Amino acid sequence: MTKQRTFILFSLLPALLLLAVFTFYPFFRGVVMAFQNYVLFDLTNVRFIGFQNFENAFNDPKFLYALRNSAIWVVSSLTLQFLIGLSLALVLRRGFRGRGVYQGFVFYSWALSGFLIGLIWKWMFNSQMGVVNDLLMRAGLIEQRIGFLSDPNWAMVSVIVANVWYGIAFFAIMLLAALQSVPAELYEAAGMDGAGAIRKFFSVTLPYIVPTIIATTLLRAIWIFNDPSLIYGLTNGGPAGSTHILSSLMMEKILSGGDYGSASAIGVIMLAMLMLYTVFYLFVTKSEKVGDF
Amino acid sequence: MKALKIKKSMQVAVSTVAVASLIAACGNGGESTGTGSNGSGSGGGETVTLRMIESLTNPDRTAMLNTMIDKFEEENPNIKVELISPPFEQADTKIRTMLAAKQELDVLESRDLNVAEFVNNGYLEPLDDYAAKWSDFETVTSVARAVGTTQEKLYFISNGMYQRQMFYRADWLKEKGIEVPKTYEELVNAAVALTDPANNRYGFSFRGGPGSNSVPDTMVRDYNADNVDLTDPNFLKSGATIFSTPEAKAAIELYVKLYKEASPPDSVNWGFQEQVQAFTSGVTAFLLQDPDVIASLQNDMEEGTWSSAMMPVGPAGKALISAGGAGWSLASHSKHKEEAWKLIAFLSNPEQNTIFSKGYGTIPIHSTAVEDEFFQSGPYKTLIEMTNLPETYLNFKATVDYPANGQWGTLNMETGQRMLLGQATVEDTLKEWDNFWTKAKEAVK
Repeated sequence: MTKQRTFILFSLLPALLLLAVFTFYPFFRGVVMAFQNYVLFDLTNVRFIGFQNFENAFNDPKFLYALRNSAIWVVSSLTLQFLIGLSLALVLRRGFRGRGVYQGFVFYSWALSGFLIGLIWKWMFNSQMGVVNDLLMRAGLIEQRIGFLSDPNWAMVSVIVANVWYGIAFFAIMLLAALQSVPAELYEAAGMDGAGAIRKFFSVTLPYIVPTIIATTLLRAIWIFNDPSLIYGLTNGGPAGSTHILSSLMMEKILSGGDYGSASAIGVIMLAMLMLYTVFYLFVTKSEKVGDF
Repeated sequence: MKALKIKKSMQVAVSTVAVASLIAACGNGGESTGTGSNGSGSGGGETVTLRMIESLTNPDRTAMLNTMIDKFEEENPNIKVELISPPFEQADTKIRTMLAAKQELDVLESRDLNVAEFVNNGYLEPLDDYAAKWSDFETVTSVARAVGTTQEKLYFISNGMYQRQMFYRADWLKEKGIEVPKTYEELVNAAVALTDPANNRYGFSFRGGPGSNSVPDTMVRDYNADNVDLTDPNFLKSGATIFSTPEAKAAIELYVKLYKEASPPDSVNWGFQEQVQAFTSGVTAFLLQDPDVIASLQNDMEEGTWSSAMMPVGPAGKALISAGGAGWSLASHSKHKEEAWKLIAFLSNPEQNTIFSKGYGTIPIHSTAVEDEFFQSGPYKTLIEMTNLPETYLNFKATVDYPANGQWGTLNMETGQRMLLGQATVEDTLKEWDNFWTKAKEAVK
């Protein structure tokens, strides 16, 4: 018995080792760097500086602005992605001619990289040469071209639109899978009890797919919060820093200043926020059913 | 029972081997390509594999470099070259990271913007001794030597020189009877006159996004003219920054006018691509750019619709120009310095450098090559003309010695955008720029 146990432990070792080297060490290193003055241009002067990086972050109006933007970015992207994704899934559940092709088109965006999507939408939103302005002008909806990415009031809206487009597919795929697993008998039974379409949705469909909804929104919120690629490709945080979210700001600290210390501090703050969020979310949604799909 | 035991130990052995090979595969990136030593290649001696990385990546240029490398490998059968071509936006970060992590690297592309930073960290090998023994070094122009020199030592052999000029829509100017502008004042007036938002036509191809600092830097220097320290061009001869003077304020006010009255509002966010695209697609009338855009203008625009002119000058009738450049450096931790230098010397010889310059649109580094018919005509001619007017076009040495250079682009872009969008005043913005360079100077003292 003990031999078997040793064997199990021994077999686990390689996996643990891989995790330690490729996950835990970089993570640990990142946390350590958050307390250091670690600037790539100045590697001869690496030293511990306590909470200075965190203090700097909270005293920086740019950070606070990005914090606010992150909240707007996550909540509005997630809500819209979920609602549109759910409606698409409901539509796609019924069979109709050309469903396969249509499904392919809907899911297509999910296969692209966020950075690439950023670059594509950047040209589409371009006020002089972009297709969005062109269509709106031709449709007679606007008289003057809109600087979607250059007007600070529009820029955040524009990046959210692109992000919603990107993420709808994920919800549509996941929710469609969940919808297809709802047993048909339940609808029959509900129908016999005299339930209409709306009643069926709220009393049969929704309860059945709630675990999937919880798991997908939880995951997706974390992804949206963490992923700078779309913003990086689309606006690079501009104009004048008006579209920075925490993750894109963190990237900028590294790319333009080589400041790994400040970037790591932002990373640690983001991590703390995500942990709180997860605990809170699982608590309010009663976690035991999550992932049960 | 025994059979079971054997089976178990086999399992252990197999899983260990599998993991070991997996780890080895992960580590491969850094290790395997060092000293390849298969003597099977022709020549019989040991084959050396050099790793080389480029910074100003674009697909055509990479293809050209690969052709040159093939030729080099043909001439030197014992040397193999592995070219790494990261996307342009991430290239410098990638190079920096490879150098900091001491990953296997022999030849790298340094830029005038970041060479000081590399030198300060001890990443680069001085090339003076190698160049002294190189017969082709004699014809390398003094500008090309200067751009690769930091702290009085040569750290890269430039692969071509960039110098800005003005491109304009010849047909639009003719239509409106406007003369080709010679000063910034005239440029702004002409650009305003050509602006017609209703027809989606604007005067100037503005660039407020990445790389935004080029035009304001140039204008401020031209307005300060003779007072600028030509060896330290962000500072005046008095030691103050160029952004601290009333002339700087006049220049930047004109610059803001250029954006507000003559440029597409969207351009506050534009980078290189949008700026050039706007010109080639017929949205804008004037473009200030390096010669590497010439090829795309020739491809995308009808002949006769565009032309080039010398850079505008400031109110004193003078302009400060500088040839920028990037080039091949030798990594100080390279294990094959002799072979790496051989590669650098090959890529920089008059024949290869001229091919590269013609294909990529830069000015060759050898004085003998500039006499080539190709560089005596069309848009290249304007560049040569500018260098022939040393009284008007004062040549300065680009600021390469400040590690802060790397951050200037981002700071200028963000503060500049705030100013252009009316969220900050010209005075406050200039004060920020002044502070930045004052601190940058203190840091290197």
